[in-house]
Amino acid sequence: MKLRLLLYITIIIGSCSCEKQLDQAPISNPSAENFYRNTADFQQAIAGLYQGLHAPDYGIIQFDLSEVRSDNIYSPGTSGVRDWIPINNFERTALAANHPTVSAVWNGDYNNILRANTVLDKLNPTVVPDNAIRDRMEGEAKFFRAFYHFELVRWFGKVPIFDHVATPTEALTIPRSPVADVYTLIISDLQTAIAKLPAKSAVAADRGRATTDAAKGILALVYLTRSGPTYSIEGPGLGTNDYASALTLLNEIIASNRYSLQATYASVFGYANENNSEIIFDMQSVDPGTTADAGLGTELPTAMYEGQYGNAVKIGFAGGIDIDAPKLPSNNLRASFTAADTRDDFSILPSYTDLNGNFINRAQFVKFLDLTKKPLIRFNFPINFPILRYADVLLMKAEAILRGGAGGTQAEVDALVKLIRDRAGLSATVLTGVTLDQLLAERRREFIAEGKRWHDLVRTGKVLTVMAAFDASDDVSNKMNAITANDIIYPIQQNQISVSPGLYTQNQGY
Amino acid sequence: MLLAQQRQIKGKITDETGVPVPDVSVALKGNTAQTKTALDGTFTITAPNGTVELILTHVSYPERSVSVSGNEVAVTLQQSSRQLDEVVVVGYGTQKRRDITGAVATFNADNLDERPITRVDQALVGQMAGVRVKQTSGLPGRGFSIQIRGTGSISASNEPLYVIDGFPLEVSTQNTGGGFSTGNPLDNINPNDIESIQVLKDASAAAIYGSRASNGVVLITTKKGRSGKAKISFNTYAGYNERVRKLDMLSAEGWVDRSIELINRDWVRSAATGRTADQTTAQRRAILNLPAGTFDVRYMIDDRWTQPGHPGLTYLDWQDEFFRKGIVQNYQLSASGGNDFVKYFVSGDYLDQQGITHGVTYKRYSARANIEVQASNKIKFGINLAPSYSLGNDPGVDGKDLQTHIAASLTPVTEATAGVKTGVDPFLPYAWGGTRVSPVETVKQQTGETKLFRTLATIYGEYNIIPRLTLRSSINLDNSDQTFKRYIPVAITAARLASGQLTGYKRLNFVNENTLNYSKTFADKHNLSLLAGQSYSTFKFDNLTINAGPFTSNDVTTLNVATIGSSGTSTETKNVLISYFGRLQYDYDSRYLVSGSIRRDGSSKFGANTKWGVFPAVSVGWRISEEAFLKSVDKISELKLRASWGVTGNNSAGDYASIGILSSANYNFNGVVVSGQVPNRANFPNADLSWEESETLNIGLDLGVLNNRIFTSVDYYTKRNTDLLLLIPVPTASGFASALTNIGAVLNKGWEVELTTRNVVGKTFTWTTSVNLSHNTNEVERLGPNNTPIYQNGGFDIDHSVLQVGQPMYSLFLVKEIGVLSTADIAGGYPRFGNQEAGDPKYFDANGDKKIDANDRVLIGGPNPKYVWGVTNTVSFKGFDLNVLIQGQSGGYIYSMFGRAVDRTGQGYMDNALAGYANRWRSPADDGKSGLNPKAHSTFGRIKNTDWLYSSNYWRVRNITLGYNLGNVIKGKVISGARLYVTAENMFGKDKYKGGWNPEAVNTNGEDYGAFPLSKGLVAGLNVTF
Repeated sequence: MKLRLLLYITIIIGSCSCEKQLDQAPISNPSAENFYRNTADFQQAIAGLYQGLHAPDYGIIQFDLSEVRSDNIYSPGTSGVRDWIPINNFERTALAANHPTVSAVWNGDYNNILRANTVLDKLNPTVVPDNAIRDRMEGEAKFFRAFYHFELVRWFGKVPIFDHVATPTEALTIPRSPVADVYTLIISDLQTAIAKLPAKSAVAADRGRATTDAAKGILALVYLTRSGPTYSIEGPGLGTNDYASALTLLNEIIASNRYSLQATYASVFGYANENNSEIIFDMQSVDPGTTADAGLGTELPTAMYEGQYGNAVKIGFAGGIDIDAPKLPSNNLRASFTAADTRDDFSILPSYTDLNGNFINRAQFVKFLDLTKKPLIRFNFPINFPILRYADVLLMKAEAILRGGAGGTQAEVDALVKLIRDRAGLSATVLTGVTLDQLLAERRREFIAEGKRWHDLVRTGKVLTVMAAFDASDDVSNKMNAITANDIIYPIQQNQISVSPGLYTQNQGY
Repeated sequence: MLLAQQRQIKGKITDETGVPVPDVSVALKGNTAQTKTALDGTFTITAPNGTVELILTHVSYPERSVSVSGNEVAVTLQQSSRQLDEVVVVGYGTQKRRDITGAVATFNADNLDERPITRVDQALVGQMAGVRVKQTSGLPGRGFSIQIRGTGSISASNEPLYVIDGFPLEVSTQNTGGGFSTGNPLDNINPNDIESIQVLKDASAAAIYGSRASNGVVLITTKKGRSGKAKISFNTYAGYNERVRKLDMLSAEGWVDRSIELINRDWVRSAATGRTADQTTAQRRAILNLPAGTFDVRYMIDDRWTQPGHPGLTYLDWQDEFFRKGIVQNYQLSASGGNDFVKYFVSGDYLDQQGITHGVTYKRYSARANIEVQASNKIKFGINLAPSYSLGNDPGVDGKDLQTHIAASLTPVTEATAGVKTGVDPFLPYAWGGTRVSPVETVKQQTGETKLFRTLATIYGEYNIIPRLTLRSSINLDNSDQTFKRYIPVAITAARLASGQLTGYKRLNFVNENTLNYSKTFADKHNLSLLAGQSYSTFKFDNLTINAGPFTSNDVTTLNVATIGSSGTSTETKNVLISYFGRLQYDYDSRYLVSGSIRRDGSSKFGANTKWGVFPAVSVGWRISEEAFLKSVDKISELKLRASWGVTGNNSAGDYASIGILSSANYNFNGVVVSGQVPNRANFPNADLSWEESETLNIGLDLGVLNNRIFTSVDYYTKRNTDLLLLIPVPTASGFASALTNIGAVLNKGWEVELTTRNVVGKTFTWTTSVNLSHNTNEVERLGPNNTPIYQNGGFDIDHSVLQVGQPMYSLFLVKEIGVLSTADIAGGYPRFGNQEAGDPKYFDANGDKKIDANDRVLIGGPNPKYVWGVTNTVSFKGFDLNVLIQGQSGGYIYSMFGRAVDRTGQGYMDNALAGYANRWRSPADDGKSGLNPKAHSTFGRIKNTDWLYSSNYWRVRNITLGYNLGNVIKGKVISGARLYVTAENMFGKDKYKGGWNPEAVNTNGEDYGAFPLSKGLVAGLNVTF
């Protein structure tokens, strides 16, 4: 009997030796400790940097935060509760109070900076021994780190600088840095990127990657933005005179002969003509077909067309804008096109018939929508969104010259504008002695729906006058508040300020 | 034939009122002779000469032993000592109620099989002090959230640990959608199988369960066999159920009136000049240059609204079309019995409950076999096996943008040709209505089918090593396989494309427990009981999701016909828990009681340095009524003072919360897909992550007077949760959304009273009342670094609830609405929000800065009720009996996000609005009857304010059961008992929630945004015993 007792007690004690079982590793996710060991791991990490362009969708963000706010779109809302209404109407409280789009861009851009810093902190010759590959990876990571800091500076002004992976407790002590310091990081990262990134690749599977020309183009834009007026707020303009530096970079891109304008406006955005000669850097999308991965396709057109239209043309699960708050191309914008201009015919659909058979007399943007190649559901649009294209390089050069960049002439400006206008079908009318206002108007027509209008107005010093005039002429429902200089940048979100009171001070006027 | 040494003993057994008690099992101690009392309470048993002891057992009375020296005996079975002799299940054992020193509440499941409820948690509403059951959804089969002594955790789970027949089940958390996406421990468990439920409320009772017990422990005991003749019981009921109430929305005429006002105003304002409200539709068409016969629905009304009889249009009340009376039926057959060697309880059950709207159904098939075998003097083993299968259909009714929401807010006017089928193929939506499809057709045609197959199995063995020392070992398995299939057919989608989804999970919980139990009485006065144990538990969760659409065929509902193929994903997680525990219970002469326990738990969820935790507890009790000076006082039958202290834990973090994980982020270059991995931003890894601790102090008093005719139990407690598993907000500039850390503290304090009185005890008429009342206050004591308040619920605009030191959890933080702006207010410069006009809501400028903005929010109530109460009255008269349960709560508030759908400032005309808008402000002269409803149109935007704030007070008559015992009428050899009953469940009640259906609803982001209402029902049933 005593033996039995002993036996049972042994069983109990024996079953206690399973304490090793308390170390469980995750089954469905790789863990960070076992990653970043070799080149293949880093290639996956770098791919994740690019995916950041879909998180949040870069094209949609630019459209909602820049195009809607500018004089290109009038969307005050009639009766709905939609995110873009406060953006259009300069409703300051709503924009500061956990606004979905503004939060998404702040959170998403910083998450992408974390992705870049994770790579940079772990990249070293031991894990990626090949120098060329490692240099390109460093170039790509720094390109994105600079790119997203630049996005943040343009939207918010002073922003915290993150140049390494910080713990949450450390993040609680990093305040918003002065704009000049942010630019210092941006410029230094882009200069490294220019040095380390290769030129446009001939290999098809590398199209879409950042190249040295893309870095140059973005850096030129950074210089132009920094040189904009300050408006007496702590915004992206510092009033420095970097036009000469911008001009040098733009000339290098032009001289390389690696890019050229497409023959027609429509072919720049053709679904079948992606990665064409005009695209320098874009957000790549592909219809994932059977794998339906959220990050591969884009929903960009749904931010521009009305839901009723989407259903009428049978886009699967169309989504789209609700008619209680349509995003209408403004009368002001439509009036700025002449009849011969092909760009508005391609980009704007003036009216449509809905499922009920009603004739809907509201215009909408269809620039990125090709109904002959529509995907089966709205999440899978395959169209790439251009972030930097050759036409922009040419017009930026014209801008740099007009703003005083040494080494350029009025004749060059006129020639550049003529190239763009000829491509748009306006060769019959030639402009000479192009002024900054005329250049701005040409940019407006060329980059319609590409999310550049607001930034163009800000950096050329015209935003307050143009928007005040727009308010007076187009705001028929009287819902727009009058613009002030404080509205040039967006507010820090309330929930970020409350995380650590005193760490961030809110932008003026919010 | 009697032997010389034997005699016949005749006896009669009655209860206190003199009514004979049939079916009492009479056994001879030390002998195998056994019999049962007949319907008249008499029995005859053969016994040896001399004094013998008879053991009397009956399911409703405590076991009683009677010495008999003669040949006749009359026994009165007493209820009075029941409360104290009652054997109460505590963790890993049982105790007599009089010896309990912790706070343990008991629920007796006697008439549970007569109530039309689908789940065990429904049965617990209003039954025990300190146990609050939040009825978060009206969907049959959906789990409720149970809070014991308040909420103490912020990011971790607030649900208790459920233990069924000694098997501790994995704790699960209610998600923000109001469901339990990883399964709820009470899924599929048949309430009819339950014998009793005990809730261990304080730490000294619960600490034996260690790191999962900080929210209390619910012990469920299922029915078991007893020695005696086989008793076969058949129970059935049938009836109907329907919605408890409606939401008061504008009628169709009210909607038309409001729409005309809004459309005219928009028309007038759509151009600088030239447009007036009295222009006809034709004139407006001309001004807008539209082709003949077309409409711009923003600016032109439907002329048919103003024509008598609105020709060509149907005016509807969507809620009346949407809800229905559903049939409820239940059938159960069970058998129990046993002898000295085998005891068994076997049951089978079928439940069919049609929901209160079309398309919602719930069916459950369940079976149970509890068998115990006494193999020899020393060895006993048993198996409890309960397979069950439930099949429910939820076409999508609970939550934002789902069908109940649509039924309230959809335009109540449709084309007469379409009628109720507006929007459904081939009909188009009404042009002046939203684009939504008829909710009635949607719930009829959309499939959302959940199939859950669950098996609970426990196999145990007990070995009596030496007298009084028992070794018990058990192996427990809980396996749930669930699949969910959704199919949305073409006809009911606005885009006319069908789609489907298939998800499923497998949940496998395995527990092995081994315990050694020793109990001995020394010198007749010292009772000692010792327990030592070890347990190993693993929990594996696999889940799978496939989405597909559009479908090529409109007839096939499975994913094989989806053109896009499928997007699928599967994940698996696992956790392991290892524990050692021990307990000592000692009492001296049943007067001085002391008990102590300790448990050491190690969990795989926590960081490398912090896996193990120790949870001690101690409690003492003093039965003052057993002291000499009180024993002689007849009136006081029981007076016990008890006090306890203990520490329990909460380990409900994610299975891998302490480890940094990566998630995939794929991209493509020129159409070539490349895979990517990036740090998962949801959580920053924390190697020091550990469990929460909860320290509870409890003082209680049990008092019984007049032979326990009045019995009351009062407890006062403080429960402090520290080292909270808190997702502290971090600046998202770090790249992470939050970091799970052990920081923070919450205090819950309160008192509970349970009172039972036997008001009238007569021969034909008895009346018993039992009341439970609890009061809980909750205070946040500490938060993250710097104690910064954490603002929450900022979806759809600014945050409206806050966790702040010194305030109750989730205090509401809103701008106060105090009326409507009059022209005098505007002229006087009253602070406004944006460009408010006369007729817009008037807000309170809390900070005095002459403008209304987010800084004018004030703290104004919270969701936790101050008082939760329940009253049960039981009356019996001759063969009839009546049982009534009323319960309610008061002191809490609900901030209804459903207001955003039906009650927002600036709402357009297409969506319907709450009925209050019929009395709105229309002009300075006609400012609305109540002075509280602002004008229909407004352009100043929105700010979260008290217009969506409602009191969550309510009272409901949860259950009225009237039964008649046919036992006196039917006498037969086959049928030994029969009972007829009628039950009204949740029939009457009142609440103040004008902005929604259910003041406790949770269905969207942790709040109510269109809840499926609770149901009330009426059933009649029959219970027959063979």
